[in-house]
Amino acid sequence: MKVASTEIDGRKVFSVSSFNQGISSWLERLPTVWVEGEVTELRRQERWAAVFFTLKDPENGACLAVQMPRGQFDALRLELADGERVHVYGRPELYARRGAFHLRALTIERYGLGAHLLALERLKKRLALEGVFAEEVKRPLPRIPRLIGLVTGNDAAAKRDVLTSISSRFPPANVLVAETYVQGERAARAVEDAMAALCAGGVDVLIIARGGGSFDDLLPFSDERLVRAVRACPVPVVSAIGHEQDVSLVDLAADVRASTPSIAGRLVVPDLAELRAWLERTQLGLHRKARRMCERRAERLARTRERLRQAPLRELERRRTRLEATRAHLHALSPSATLERGYAIVRAGDRLVREPPALGTELAVEVAGGAFPARAG
Amino acid sequence: MSERSFEQDQAELEAIVERLERGEVELEELARLWERGELLCRRLAAELSDTQGRIEELARQLEAEAPERRT
Repeated sequence: MKVASTEIDGRKVFSVSSFNQGISSWLERLPTVWVEGEVTELRRQERWAAVFFTLKDPENGACLAVQMPRGQFDALRLELADGERVHVYGRPELYARRGAFHLRALTIERYGLGAHLLALERLKKRLALEGVFAEEVKRPLPRIPRLIGLVTGNDAAAKRDVLTSISSRFPPANVLVAETYVQGERAARAVEDAMAALCAGGVDVLIIARGGGSFDDLLPFSDERLVRAVRACPVPVVSAIGHEQDVSLVDLAADVRASTPSIAGRLVVPDLAELRAWLERTQLGLHRKARRMCERRAERLARTRERLRQAPLRELERRRTRLEATRAHLHALSPSATLERGYAIVRAGDRLVREPPALGTELAVEVAGGAFPARAG
Repeated sequence: MSERSFEQDQAELEAIVERLERGEVELEELARLWERGELLCRRLAAELSDTQGRIEELARQLEAEAPERRT
């Protein structure tokens, strides 16, 4: 490729852009190579076309900018984190606009841990398909645990962190601790045995805590049998393994994952002070409600009692009124009422006189005011 | 008759009052129902004040047990 230059006063002068273009085309002729280093400053964003990171020489800190198209990077499914050692296969490239040099990566492989990781990734996929990590199988933690089981190494830090946070939040908590191997060949089985022993001891929640460590150190916590044992554990399991960014398969299978041992401790117990305050509020509310219920019933009873007193009185009054009316009616029909109107009853002896009697018959006449004798004339 | 609940007594009392208010009872029945109603009233009132007393007593006990408690 020809790079344009101009002659000025006998000098051959390049513009910046044609200079960069020249360098760029020269760099393009270099071979593709493998470069080893530690990943730092990894920057990946959905809206960026490329992923950027700096490859650092662990020996002397020498740095090399690396970039890779985001699609290719994602397809590798490396889940790279800062500090990881990698082999990058790529060729040098110049970003002509800025004159910035970087390594364009064609592929990236983990160095050293690669084999482990591949196996781990496969196991993770398989277990995920089986549903071992599914949200639906995760169990809630007991509100107030009777006995907490803690599986931890005999290194003080993780154990101390868990116990401190439990006892500061909920002093009456009971904790059963099983110290065991948490790294090396025997760790996975040892943790599994410790879990079984704690469950047999009657714990109702279990914490597995281990401080940070290298990838190798944490590998036992991705052991398939242990992962399955965590899922099958009869009581809920809280895991706090390594640091925030280290995610072991045990973390994924646990019912709750805590990012640190202290957080695990806080998750398994309620805050005693808060609990007390709640209890107090509830008690007050209970008392108020019970009192109000009694009062309401008393009021209802008083109303009913008043009705009970009124009802028979009204009923008697009604009957009395009716009786009065009947009596008045009865009176209206009686003979004396007829006499009052001026009629008279005439008797001859003990017979009522209905026909004109024979002259001279002795009669008895009854009028409203009394009776008097008379003679038919 | 001893194991009747407050609610049963209350329901019976209210049924009596309703019958009396409808006025469909014979005179002897009137007196009998009224007596029964009064008996139920007294029983319910006694039961209520007993319950209220128990609630207040319990509240006093709780206050006494937790004197350090803030309000």
